[in-house]
This record gives sequence, structure tokens and C-alpha cells, in this order.
Amino acid sequence: MAFPAKYPQMNATELTDEARSVLIRVIRVAFPHPSFPDGPYERTADTILREAENSTWFRVALTQGLLTLSNLAGGDFRDLNDEDGTKVLRRIETTEFFGFIRRTTVLNLYDNEDVWEILGYEGPSFDKGGYINRGFNDLDWLPEARIESYDGPEQLVEIATPVSVARVRGGENASAVARDTSNQPGKRDAIMSEMTK
Amino acid sequence: MTNIEHDEAAIVIIGSGAGGGTLAYELTAKGLPVVVLEAGPYLRNEDYVNDEWEAFNQMAWLDPRTTSGSWRIARDFPNLPTWIVKAVGGTTTHWSGATPRFKAHEFAARSTYGRIDGANLLDWPITLAELAPYYDKAEVAMGSTHVHGRKPLPANNNYKVFANGAKRLGYKFYSTGPYATNAEEYDGRPASVQDGFNFQGDKNKSKWSTLVREIPRAEATGLLDLRPESHAVQITHDASGRADAVLYLDKDGNLQRQAAGLVAVAANSIETPRLLLQSASPMFPEGLANSSGQVGRNYMRHTTGSVYARFNDPVRMHRGETMAGVIADESKHDPDRGFAGGYYLETISLGPAFLASFGDPGAWGRGFTEILEAYANTAGLWVVGEDLPQESNRVTLNTTVSDKNGLPVPNVNFDDHVNDIAMRDHGYAQAELLYETVGSVGAQRTPPYPSTHNMGTSRMSARPEDGVVDSWGRAHDVPNLFTSDGSVFTTSAAANPTLTIVALAIRQAEYIADQLKTGGI
Ligand SMILES: Cc1cc2nc3c(=O)[nH]c(=O)nc-3n(C[C@H](O)[C@H](O)[C@H](O)COP(=O)(O)OP(=O)(O)OC[C@H]3O[C@@H](n4cnc5c(N)ncnc54)[C@H](O)[C@@H]3O)c2cc1C
Repeated sequence: MAFPAKYPQMNATELTDEARSVLIRVIRVAFPHPSFPDGPYERTADTILREAENSTWFRVALTQGLLTLSNLAGGDFRDLNDEDGTKVLRRIETTEFFGFIRRTTVLNLYDNEDVWEILGYEGPSFDKGGYINRGFNDLDWLPEARIESYDGPEQLVEIATPVSVARVRGGENASAVARDTSNQPGKRDAIMSEMTK
Repeated sequence: MTNIEHDEAAIVIIGSGAGGGTLAYELTAKGLPVVVLEAGPYLRNEDYVNDEWEAFNQMAWLDPRTTSGSWRIARDFPNLPTWIVKAVGGTTTHWSGATPRFKAHEFAARSTYGRIDGANLLDWPITLAELAPYYDKAEVAMGSTHVHGRKPLPANNNYKVFANGAKRLGYKFYSTGPYATNAEEYDGRPASVQDGFNFQGDKNKSKWSTLVREIPRAEATGLLDLRPESHAVQITHDASGRADAVLYLDKDGNLQRQAAGLVAVAANSIETPRLLLQSASPMFPEGLANSSGQVGRNYMRHTTGSVYARFNDPVRMHRGETMAGVIADESKHDPDRGFAGGYYLETISLGPAFLASFGDPGAWGRGFTEILEAYANTAGLWVVGEDLPQESNRVTLNTTVSDKNGLPVPNVNFDDHVNDIAMRDHGYAQAELLYETVGSVGAQRTPPYPSTHNMGTSRMSARPEDGVVDSWGRAHDVPNLFTSDGSVFTTSAAANPTLTIVALAIRQAEYIADQLKTGGI
């Protein structure tokens, strides 16, 4: 829930266009996909800004973070190359500021058709009849594989090392008390449990 | 659909998923009227959406929960310990369909594995031989492939990588099932169109769920009073200690009372103990049916983990049935591997949205984006094996946090047992080897997802002091109270749980009908 700031000047923590463009750069450095155009990163930044509007805590953390990032960057964060930008972000990765950006990006950047196509994911398929006639089995760089259960000479050995007790238990009913006891298994426990319960 | 009066002492089932939906059908088929209280809405297959987050938000149980303990979930997804569905049909709407059986020795884990420090192992009070006829019935009901004459599903791309790797690694026991989705028309439902959306609900109805089979059939008997959006909050009892009613919130938030002659709780392993704990009274101060102190304890989620391997050539794992690929070679008990119990390897696939969220939670930077960049060339599998019951892995009521109804939320505390960690590491290593044999160029070890398999919090035991219910799922302490879901599991075994939940529910229905006839309840 968002509360109006107590002091009117605090509402000036509104995020500027410049802050938005720093945010876009932060997301691209943190989640580098050379094949992605700007669109998905801008969309994600706008989602983050929208969510920040609804939470005082995120809004102040985000505003403060974007304003002060230049201190760590020794200038404008947007001027850093990928490698230097990554180094700056590693230094702040445990902050609430970065955590908020990371979580929201992970949830939103990849949840859109604009990146699915680039990554090779095809989205909803039922309306297209599924993949039964559209390549569910078109992989051709490996031989065909057996789909039936194994029916060769070997049996799955369920217990590798002979364990005599289990054979006793194979189906017949040994007395549960003789075989086993409660929370701390072992014979003595039948008496101990009376005191602990 | 029938209308059962609120003051009629009815058979009341709480939850309509694998356990509750099956029990409702089996009882109505035997001529017994039942009320089913289901917290979620009545969605149909047409309502499902082919979109990961949209489908999740449509159906997953999103009421607040809290977590504690050293499991990674408590750090990465502190309010989402599980992936459970809140809708008619329960989690069988989102499940994928793998249906292996438990092995004989897995019903006797304590006897077979011996004493293991920190574990709370116990033998089940039933054996494989006793359950086998019900496994048959469950497989026929669910249409499991590879058994009872059901055709195997064809190999999809992800399976081709998986099975070729298995073969080259020397594994023998691999196939596209058993898997409860039709390869050809069966039971009035069509063959799979391989649309790749299993975890989102199958619009085509090829996948078994209680929504497509048990619920409509129970409705057709005219004996089912199904009440969606009805959240049970308490089971009350009379002076003799018998359950006599269920209090629930209807969709408008009004508290209702349904009188009960018999109550069966099938709310999945978090909500089942929560409800029993919320039903504490002066006669049952620790919670209903909890004289053993075991309600909520021994919570199990299976030892899991995924490996996503990258190749130079396209795989397109998202096309086709998600989990129609099972390797059983590691499901044996072989302490030589450094742990007790066994595990399966099963194909799995996520879309980019879920892979980003769950593939390597908390990660960012180039290492992270590489996983997604390789999406089209990625194959995936899931390790799923037995985890050990521990008393401290536990569902409790968190009285400092309440849900929108003002009820205390469940807290799920979990630590991996060292056995679980050793098994997971073995599974990761085998999976990487498997993919290397078919040319992988890199692999990502993905930690457990919010738990999809939830078991053990109301466990079966021969003796009342060791567990909550007897071999029929009947509470040791309350003669007309039953538990009918995965929470009755004494141990988790390696196999995915749902076939066993359904088999136990079919067996329980026979017992209940029989006992009602002979006056035993
Ligand atoms: C993505 C995914 C994949 C899976 N794949 C497989 C697989 O391949 N093989 C397999 O065996 N298993 C699989 N599972 C697990 C399987 O879905 C569960 O084991 C099974 O559905 C559990 O059955 P249940 O009856 O215990 O509970 P559920 O099916 O979860 O049903 C419980 C129902 O109770 C309702 N409920 C809860 N509390 C209340 C209340 N207080 N009042 C009223 N109603 C309530 C819930 O809304 C829900 O509908 C998968 C699960 C997921 C999420």
C-alpha cells in the first residue's frame, strides 16, 4: 500500500525520465541478451516503475538507488561498458534496490511473446492443434528411441544388497512392535516413548 | 446434482483432488450420498490457459503461507512452499501424469533401511501385496500407459535426448511411461495432441484428473452435493469424541455448518494438518486426532532437483507431453551409492517464464542469461526420489500471520536430511553424465521447485502412538474421521505419489462402505 509522503517535498522522489533510462541500462547489464532489442527492456522498466508507484518502500528504495548509482559508477552509470557495469551491480546485489529490480525483471522480462520468439519458445499451442502434427518429435540428430518398457533378460534388482529383514516383510505380517517402534526407532523406545508423550 | 440438508449427518469429504475426488466417486458409485467441500472454484477444461503465470495465478493455492528451516525454498520463495491447486479437481488439474508404483520394500522402509539418525522411519501398516489389486484399479481408472493394454505415448524431442542418453549410459528401464494421459482414445477421452501444457491444465482432456473423470461420474449418480468455494475451517465433535460437523466458509465468507456422520479430509498435506490443528478442543487440546503428536510432522516433499542441459542442436523440449519419460534404473535401494532409498529420472520442461523464475533462483548476470539464451537447444529432466520423514519437518499454525479470513496460516518448516542431499547430488551427477553421452555442452543444476509432492503429515501407523491414522486412513483417535490424501503416507517411496493416493482412496471407499453397512463406524 502507498501512503502519501508526510512532507510535500518528499513526493519529489518521483522518477524522472533520466532515472528511467538508467533503470533500462541496469536491467540490460544485469540480464544481458545481445539478441534482445530495447523493447523488452523498456517494457520491463515500465513494469518496475508501475510497481514502485504502489509501494512506498520500493519507491523510496528505487529512487534512492537510481540517484546514487552514479556515485559508485564514478559518473553516469549509462556510460559504463557491460563489464564495468556488472562490477558495480555485483557490489550492490544484496541491496533491496537491486533485489526489487532483479525479482521484478525475472518475473516479467521472460513472460512476453516479444522475447519468446527470439528464444525459440512458441507460446500457446492448443489453439493450433498442439504439436502432434507440428514437430513434437522432429529432433533428427539422434536415433529413434525405444518407448516401450524394457523386455530384455534383466530384471530391475530392487534391493542391491541383500537385506534380510525386508525379505521377511515381503508380504507377510510380522508384528509391528517386534519389527519397529516409533519416533526413535530401536527396541528400547517402546518404553522411552511413554515418558516423552 | 443432489442437495443434502445442512442438518443431515452426511458423509463430508473435504477436498476434490486425487484423494477426495476419487473417494467421492467410489462412495457415490456404491450408492452413498456425499457432500464435497472444495475451497476452490469450479473451473472447466475450457477455462484453462496456455500460459505459465496466468494459469498458475488462475488455479494455484495462493493463500499466504510461511516457511522456516534451512531449505532453499525458505529463502527463494518464502511464501510459496508448495505448488498445489485450489480448484475442483485439486492438483490433478496441474499434475503431469507419471504413475509408477511403490516397491514392496518401500512399504517397509524402517525394516529395510534400518535405523537412520535423524529420521523418523516407520514401516507402513500395509504391504504391496495388499495394495496391488487397488493399484490395478487405479491404473485402469487413470488410463496409465504401458499397463493393462494401454499404448505407450510416442517419443517427443525431450524424450529422444533423455532415452538415448539413458541407453548410452547403460540404463535399461526407461520408457515413455507409465503416464496417465491417453496415447489413443480411452475412457471417452481423446488422445493427446502433445500441446506441451500439462502443468497448466489440459484443455484437451487427454490427461486424467478427477475433474474429467471422477467428479462428473459422481455427479451422474445423482448422489453428489459438490460445493465449490467452500473452505472448511473446523471439524467439530460431540461429547463422545466423534466428529459431528464441519464448519466452512462459503463463497460470500459466511460461516456454514454441515452436520456430519463421517468426515474424510483430503485437503493435501499442508491443509489437512492445518485443519486438524484448527480443530483443537478441550477434549483434543493438541488438535483433532493428535494424541500421537504426529499431526503435521514427518512432512515430506520428495528429494528432487532438475538438470537442464544445453546442446549444439535444437531440442524444443516444450513440445509435447511434459513428463512422458521415466527411467527406473536408480529407483532401487542400493546403499553403496551412499544413501538409502532410490530415485527416478523423469523428463521435464518449463517455458522461459518459469525457467527464469525457477531455473536458478536469485541468479542474474551472464551465467543466468545463458540458461535462457540456450532455450531452444535445452533438454530437461527431473530427479524425484524418496526423502526421509523427520519429526521436525513440520506443518504448524503460525498464529502471528492470518489469511484473509482471519485464520492462522500454516508454517512449513523443512531441513533436508543428509540422505536427501546425498541422493540429490547423485541424481544431478547421473543426469549430467547421461546428457554428456549425447553431446551436451553445458548443464544447469536447478534446486527443488516449490513442492508439488506433499506427503506424510497425517501418517499411517500400526500403533496409535506412532501416527495419526490406521491402515485404512481411519484416525486412531476419532472413529468416524478419515484422511484420504497424500498426508497418510508413512514414508514417501521414490515414485510420484498420485497413483498410490488414488489406489488408497479406492481401497478406503470399500472399507467405509463395508463398515457403514455392518455398523463398524
Ligand atoms: C506441476 C505438478 C506436476 C505434478 N506431476 C505429478 C506426476 O507426474 N505424478 C504424480 O504422481 N503426481 C504429480 N503431481 C502431484 C499431484 O498433483 C498430487 O500428488 C495430488 O494431486 C495430491 O492429491 P491430494 O488429494 O493429496 O490433494 P490435491 O489434489 O491437492 O487436492 C486437495 C484439494 O483440497 C482442497 N482444499 C484444501 N484445503 C481445503 C479446505 N480447508 N476446505 C476445502 N477444500 C480444501 C484444495 O483446494 C484442493 O482442491 C504434480 C503436481 C504438480 C503441481
